[in-house]
Amino acid sequence: MVNITINGTSYEVPEGYTVLKAATEKGIHIPTLCDHPELTPYGGCRLCLVEVDGFRTPQPSCTLPVSNNMVIRTDTPAIHESRKFVLSLIFSERNHFCPYCQVSGGDCELQNSAYDEGMTYWPIQPNWKNFPVDASHPYIILEHNRCILCRRCVRACGELVGNFTLGVEERGANSILMADLGVPLGESTCVSCGTCVQVCPTGALIDRWSAYRGREEESKSQKTICTACSVGCGIEVFTRHNNIVKIYGDWDAAINKGVICEKGRFLPMVEKRERVLTPIVKQDGKPKAATWQNALEAIAAKWSKGEVAALVSDRLPAETLSFVSHLVGSDKVSVIESAGDATSGLKKPFEGKLADLKKSDCVVVVGTNLAEDHEVAGFFVKRLVPSGTSVILIDSESNPLDQVADVVLKPAKGGEAALLQLLADGKATEVAAKAAELLAKASNPVFIYGKSASELTIKAAVEAAQKFHGVVLGTRGGANSLLTAFLGMEKETQLDKAKAVLIVLADDEPSQKLIHQLEKVPFKVVLAAYHSQLSAQADVVLPVAMWAEESGTFISMDGHVQQAVASINPPEEVKSSKEAVQEIASRLGIKVNGESWKDLLKSKAVVTEIVEA
Amino acid sequence: MAKPKISSDWMGGCAGCHMSFLDMDERIIKLVELADLRSTPITDLKVPDESGVDVGILEGSVMNTANEEVVHRMRERCKILVALGDCAVFGGVPAMRNFFTIEETLRRGYVETESTDENGKVPDDPELCKQTRVRAVHEVVPVELHVPGCPPDPDVIFYVLSELAQGRMPELKGDKINWH
Repeated sequence: MVNITINGTSYEVPEGYTVLKAATEKGIHIPTLCDHPELTPYGGCRLCLVEVDGFRTPQPSCTLPVSNNMVIRTDTPAIHESRKFVLSLIFSERNHFCPYCQVSGGDCELQNSAYDEGMTYWPIQPNWKNFPVDASHPYIILEHNRCILCRRCVRACGELVGNFTLGVEERGANSILMADLGVPLGESTCVSCGTCVQVCPTGALIDRWSAYRGREEESKSQKTICTACSVGCGIEVFTRHNNIVKIYGDWDAAINKGVICEKGRFLPMVEKRERVLTPIVKQDGKPKAATWQNALEAIAAKWSKGEVAALVSDRLPAETLSFVSHLVGSDKVSVIESAGDATSGLKKPFEGKLADLKKSDCVVVVGTNLAEDHEVAGFFVKRLVPSGTSVILIDSESNPLDQVADVVLKPAKGGEAALLQLLADGKATEVAAKAAELLAKASNPVFIYGKSASELTIKAAVEAAQKFHGVVLGTRGGANSLLTAFLGMEKETQLDKAKAVLIVLADDEPSQKLIHQLEKVPFKVVLAAYHSQLSAQADVVLPVAMWAEESGTFISMDGHVQQAVASINPPEEVKSSKEAVQEIASRLGIKVNGESWKDLLKSKAVVTEIVEA
Repeated sequence: MAKPKISSDWMGGCAGCHMSFLDMDERIIKLVELADLRSTPITDLKVPDESGVDVGILEGSVMNTANEEVVHRMRERCKILVALGDCAVFGGVPAMRNFFTIEETLRRGYVETESTDENGKVPDDPELCKQTRVRAVHEVVPVELHVPGCPPDPDVIFYVLSELAQGRMPELKGDKINWH
């Protein structure tokens, strides 16, 4: 700890802190533009200048480490003058005329800083240099004229996402952001995670689907979790008049610290599927809109106890999963298109946490496409690469992670387990020998397996992890796939004998395989948010909530129990999946309990330690 | 003591700031009690008194030689010059043409628009004023008070004018600053 004095008051702060971090923690506001708590200090904008005794000139507080007996002043007339001067220079560089900008009026950190300094005009007029607008990207507009070159986006793209798409080209007043080596953003290696948009302090990077739909102060915000996959990222959903305005990563979320992917941020904004708005019952072979009561009657008429199976999405809340398992019997519920549970024969718990990746110096990825299925986990791996972490990719097919991996091993299909064993035993040859070498010198290896890993592969990974004192992580599938596996719902579906099948699809899109599988089922009840080929074939369709309309419990891939909180209300006749299943149960007189998964969790081991919020 | 005199004029703007001035509604009576409202573009008297006024208000940016005359006349005849609205303060919407040459904007305006064709003619009568680079008022003459906003809120305009009418310099900070 060191003693410092800020504006005449003494404070004790940890050594290694920057002046900015110390001041912020003590509640003293220093304006910043290029600085961001989740990014490496950069010292580019000079807005955070402070006076420090012993220094001839004002110093940037974001890059200045505290030292013992440092005397700092943040609130002198000279400092305010310097801030105004810095802001004047920034305003004079490009087109910062506020009336046409989407972020003006509260969402612009540049404008807010000027207001805070009481600036009523620009002492220096703009230099009227024209910069291009890059609108080639499906979600993001890069408006160079509003860019202040703070490089937050450049750092976020590299440090947080590990993608290194954004950079800066040219020099001085000609400097502009560039994607890759100067290609339009839409044709670049951008993975559309939108982190650059979220960190941009001005309107230089805007999300075209959210633009002009409402500023933050006009919107309601709800912190919740993303249910697109099992990583369990924290998100903040901004809504206005019951519409989603934008989705941001939650900086305070322990798992993802603000980083989310295209699936969490942008895909919900471009949802074009048609909602199911009333219950639908098939009459004389034709689907007809019905009341909930009629639909429930139609279900009750065909319901024969013990002969109903259920197919559920692995993106449903724990409560709905429990309800369904009571409704049809736990042995009759399986996850849609489940590949089975390859961990059933393993001694539990054997998995670690995503946070273990932070200190990992060697990551082995097997049986998963992290760029497709659990993208944020992929970012966690990719962003380790610059600090020297080696990545070993084992995949029989091509994988986008090929680009960043130090060693890419392509065994024949099914040969992953044997290859892992060879690596662990140090008996690998040729290319694999290099992987074995990297693994042998690693002090914190992490083995990530995905849903296409076989039981043998997982076993081999567990053994290798034990040998090298490493950690195993399984990504699985949908948001609640750890729980569905635990509840025994990850199994092949036996539909031959079923007289009726309850399909709880929620907002999932049914695959052709699923539709084909259900073709011969005599009676289908589909709980869906959107119209689909499957809902068209169903005998009864009940309209249920999409992800943002439903609250409930989810357990992330590494065992964090988290609550999803509804951010918008469903349309009039639409019920949450919980309520819908409950309605069926009460019509049939079956008792259901949404909390039963909790007792089960206490009674038997899970693949990873459960972390309650 | 005689009531302080206030005059206003406009240049390259949309008249929106004057509309916002009128939006102070019945408070305009209060203002007239405090000050002597002299010439404005929306009243009969159009030109500020030669003998001078206390407060001169200018809306709009300086975009041609005619605007320059208006600015200089107001500056000569007033003690306190107020730049009202984003155009007068920053250049505003008209200043967007500074990203192009004057020739380009005239050609776009008179020849290349959707409602004109190649027969369109850029007016070149020698009696017409000359277009210039678009400037904020303070780039042409010194300004005592900047009131940004597109347009400034009527409450802010009333606050500014009632303070000036009572011989105080208004302080714009917090909620009173708005650039859009």
